[in-house]
Amino acid sequence: MTDQADLERGYRRLLAWYPGEFRRENGQEILAVLMAGARDGQRRPGLAESADLIRGGVWMRLRPSVPRSARTVQAAVRLVYAGAAVSAAGLIIGLALIIVDIQVAARGQFLGQSLTAHKPLVITVWIVVGLAGVSMWLWMARANGQGRNWARILSVVLFVLATLQLRGAFTRPGSHAGFGVTVLYYGGAVLFVVAWLAGGAAVWLLWRPASTAFFKPPGSTQALHQAHMAELDRLRSSRARSPRQV
Amino acid sequence: MILTALANGSQHGYGIIIDVREISGGRVRLRAGTLYSALDRLRADALIVVDREEVVDGRLRRYYRLTPAGTGRLAAEAARLQAAASAALTRLNLAGGMAT
Repeated sequence: MTDQADLERGYRRLLAWYPGEFRRENGQEILAVLMAGARDGQRRPGLAESADLIRGGVWMRLRPSVPRSARTVQAAVRLVYAGAAVSAAGLIIGLALIIVDIQVAARGQFLGQSLTAHKPLVITVWIVVGLAGVSMWLWMARANGQGRNWARILSVVLFVLATLQLRGAFTRPGSHAGFGVTVLYYGGAVLFVVAWLAGGAAVWLLWRPASTAFFKPPGSTQALHQAHMAELDRLRSSRARSPRQV
Repeated sequence: MILTALANGSQHGYGIIIDVREISGGRVRLRAGTLYSALDRLRADALIVVDREEVVDGRLRRYYRLTPAGTGRLAAEAARLQAAASAALTRLNLAGGMAT
């Protein structure tokens, strides 16, 4: 019996990867399925089923919740995820450049215009800004995938800011830069432009008339109505389930 | 596969897993995570709905069934697979005939 309690606890821990709302709605049911599928005397969740649950939970948190018929929104979200991947790659290139920069500086040479004087503070700020950029992409992908109108507006603002930065991507590396550094440098610039294009395309898709239908304008009567219906559903389902606890 | 499992009446989660294993001749073993991601998607697309809920041994069982849209999707998908399979068989027969 304690084996079973152990196993159930293990499964519960894995279910924590799922979004809270989904867990409240389906958690008990999934747990029942997991326990029904367990082998006799099994004490811990298997590796493969753990991986499957974690993947399911993470995917459920990240994936767009707008219906599949919202093709333009789905495509835009995919582009934004691609932008996140590209900007993460850019961040890695940037880190490589910083390392090269520090090495060269240690030898007393400088890469012309570079990360100023390689002060730890400057480098830290640069890394934080880079990480914030990647998180912004991920955040936008998620919020737009959920059909939030503010996310659609914020996407435009971020895109405009990125456009202002675009000029910076075309500055030249210093004259002391070796071949490898030059490649890295232009690689980084190209990635920035690619990410910018992906962002631009995503913003364009998000504001197509086909997308607008899936974005709920805040405070509109329709959104209010939907919220009411959701609340009613929740009440109904909680009442339907309450006998279980008795 | 999941739609097929629901084609002759409502099923609960574990029932679907067993059914899919049987339909596939033991090749497809659905895991709970995969199953519920799929069920969630199918529900969002209104291809299936919750039929009823039961409590068995203190555990919640939710039964799902196909909606008319789900039946339509399954029929279309089955027809597509059949067309692909018969095209393959026709060509194999043709190739076999030429080889002999």
